[in-house]
Amino acid sequence: MMLSESLVAETLSRASGADFAELYVERWKRRSLRLLNGEVKEASSGLEYGAGLRLFHGTEVTYGYTNDLTPSGLHDLAAHLVTARGREGRVDARGRGGLDFRKTVSGGLHAPAVPFDAHPKRYRVERLLEADGAARVAPEIRQVEPSLLEWEQETLVANTQGVWAEDRRVRTRLSVIAVAADGPQMQTGVASRGMSVGLELLDRYSPASLGRRAGEQAMTNLRARAAPAGTMPVVLGNGFGGVIFHEALGHLLETTSVAKKVSVLSDMLGEDVASPVVTYIDDGTTPHGWGSSEFDDEGAPTERTVLIEKGILKSYMVDRLGALLTGYGPTGSGRRQDYTLAPTSRMRNTYIAASATPVDRLFEGIEFGLYAKEFRGGQVKPGSGEYNFGVQEAYIIRRGRREEAVRGAMLVGKGPETIKRVAAVADDLDMGVGMCGSLSGSIPVEVGQPHVLVSEIVVGGETG
Amino acid sequence: MNLDDAKRYVLDRAKARGVAAEIVGQHVREFTARAQQGSLEQLTQAVSGGLGVRVVTGGRVGYAYTEELSRSALDWMFDEAVENASLQRGSAGFLPAGSALGHQDLLGGRLEGSPEAKIAAALGFEATLREDKRVTHVELADYTERVRNVTVASTEGADASYRRGAAGLMAYFVMQDGTSRKQGGEAHWVSDLQQLDPGRTALEFTERTARLLGARPLRTGRYPAYFEPKAFGRLLLAFSTMWSGKAVMEGKSRLAGRLGETIASPSVTLVDDPTLPDGLAARPFDAEGTPARPLTLVENGVLTAYLTNSEVARALGIGNTGHAARSYRGTLNVAPSNLYLRPGQGLRPHRGVIVTDVMGVHAGTNSITGEFSLQGFGMWVKDGEIAYPVENFAVAGDFLTLLRDITGLGASLEWEFWGAAVGAPLVAVAGLSFAGA
Repeated sequence: MMLSESLVAETLSRASGADFAELYVERWKRRSLRLLNGEVKEASSGLEYGAGLRLFHGTEVTYGYTNDLTPSGLHDLAAHLVTARGREGRVDARGRGGLDFRKTVSGGLHAPAVPFDAHPKRYRVERLLEADGAARVAPEIRQVEPSLLEWEQETLVANTQGVWAEDRRVRTRLSVIAVAADGPQMQTGVASRGMSVGLELLDRYSPASLGRRAGEQAMTNLRARAAPAGTMPVVLGNGFGGVIFHEALGHLLETTSVAKKVSVLSDMLGEDVASPVVTYIDDGTTPHGWGSSEFDDEGAPTERTVLIEKGILKSYMVDRLGALLTGYGPTGSGRRQDYTLAPTSRMRNTYIAASATPVDRLFEGIEFGLYAKEFRGGQVKPGSGEYNFGVQEAYIIRRGRREEAVRGAMLVGKGPETIKRVAAVADDLDMGVGMCGSLSGSIPVEVGQPHVLVSEIVVGGETG
Repeated sequence: MNLDDAKRYVLDRAKARGVAAEIVGQHVREFTARAQQGSLEQLTQAVSGGLGVRVVTGGRVGYAYTEELSRSALDWMFDEAVENASLQRGSAGFLPAGSALGHQDLLGGRLEGSPEAKIAAALGFEATLREDKRVTHVELADYTERVRNVTVASTEGADASYRRGAAGLMAYFVMQDGTSRKQGGEAHWVSDLQQLDPGRTALEFTERTARLLGARPLRTGRYPAYFEPKAFGRLLLAFSTMWSGKAVMEGKSRLAGRLGETIASPSVTLVDDPTLPDGLAARPFDAEGTPARPLTLVENGVLTAYLTNSEVARALGIGNTGHAARSYRGTLNVAPSNLYLRPGQGLRPHRGVIVTDVMGVHAGTNSITGEFSLQGFGMWVKDGEIAYPVENFAVAGDFLTLLRDITGLGASLEWEFWGAAVGAPLVAVAGLSFAGA
């Protein structure tokens, strides 16, 4: 436990007059290792440590944070916030009887099998070197950059409704970047995997296999020509291809933008919002998922939330403030980057469910189109639904056949239109990992899908 | 311990162990008032900070940081840094000799004002946004300020600190006209509250989005492009790593080996100036304590310099430009401060696409290859007049080709602040590929 129960209770009780007070405490060890061409370039270790105090007066929020977790530091934080708000709340939900915490601790659902200290740091260097060797699939591969992130985050959320939730989140991510060059031409390949596990990640996804993929992709891109420009049918690869729905759909279903009716999908529960082949799920409970945790950052147990079922909108993603504002039940979706940011409703591990359609069926009948196999991130404006995401590896589809490689291009569209244009979903669901940035900062998420055919998207390539 | 005590504790420990060490410490005060429908939706007040160390032992470099300033946390940090250093094989690592530069206050009283006045600024800003009847929703309307104290100190004699601050107004809002719906996302930063005018900024923000209402599809084709300062600034910042000496050193920049070559149109002069008095990213010295000075990266189209720090300068055999960057949580890098493209004679768009903004920069630009493909927002120009706004398109190309194809520059410089400050005029480019309908 990071703070004593009495100090937590005293800090919360100092938030006098608020309708609700919540203390979030975090102690986070982060280690990173980056190699370049077989040499360790940077090895770093960090300890992030702080607390965030959030007060509600009705639905008005006061937030503050500090690294000083001594009694006087926390007292100052509470005193400043109460003064800043400068008035009394409407209801004191705590009553006068003091706080009676219902303590919950994580059950180890996502606990690592290999603890940090099981291997010396040198072992990590040796394993990353395997990626370097494997990435050099051709003499044109000039730079290979494997990196490893290891996070060990302890969190405590306690509030004036008696919640006391302690969680321990261990996450590990392995990435490899390869650069291929031929004369003045330079191209890149990337491969990355991350999970809520310890160093056993390297047994599930070997550095050599990621290195090889990065190297092969760099070579494919080096030999590729520019992508075409224009509107065309696109088959989106499985796994990280799910980033399209993360942008085009997921962000529009967070109460952060739904409560203020900014999202173009506000007030549409029960309505037909997507193609009937689309079932969309956000699951914070996937064992060892990169975006999983046992409790969210408001101390609520995470859950599996069906957002869209066969095209019909079933649920939004709801945090505490979102629940107050909309009346929808909370879904354990309150997340934040760290103690410096108040939580908002966010995605966890979000994916399009598989159908029974074989992948090859998606390509049949496409006269000319794009097969977007691997992806980079994306972005959306929830208020207009305008979104984009980047393609890292792509191929031309001609007469139903996958043909020559083309270099990545951005795909752009309007979310509500695109999700109506999903023509088919295949049977090969896979997940990919990324970091998602929004109002409450940058957080780990998974996105996923089987192969998906969209009848038309703007492909931002280059005209001949 | 406070940051000063912690700094001394770690440096003393390093000296006792015979390890060279350099501390970067940071202390930040944040104040944010978020207005919604005329009331204060969220108020954030906080102080935070931490301390990071770079150690060199036997020519090997390691890093660690902590936000907990207890003796045990500082010991943990130091031991981790030394252990991390032992993972390196090389022996060329070093810390630069430093000097005592004292404390410099770049801020003075320029952000002084009562919390009530700052809250009132947020409320007035939000109210003015809503005055435009086409504004249907305001998702976020913030007044925010950050005051930063940065300290650099080392066992090699560096000892310096400075304080700077910036205040910003930012908003996300939705505007609608008929069936056309557009979301605005804007921020305006100043280094002095005297320059803050919430009402005027709100009107500028709504105007920037209102001109995109009623947008039509853009036909796929190759057209002349006119990048407004904000759109060009996003590209320039994303590709500024091409000038990073570290990227050059690591074989990840296409500008490697090209000093003295013409890489851009003769109208292009690119400068990074950390000493600009009103610069939002001004700093008297860099993250290694090297004093700041202006640096011309491209002069009349000729590549004249890379951004360097002590490590990169030594490895490449060129001068140290004083562009070391390291937050306490980070590792040694190089980065621009106030980076700008010098304005030109002025220009008037004739035919093509005015690109008012681009989105998706983190996924749609590749600073290693130089390629970009980005979602664009803008207006179609015909016969020297704005014909109509356009939407649902992407603009793609190669950044170095774009720099060569610049045909004109606007006369006024406008700044954006995204961690680094980036300034640009209106930029005309001969032809770029636009993908749309």
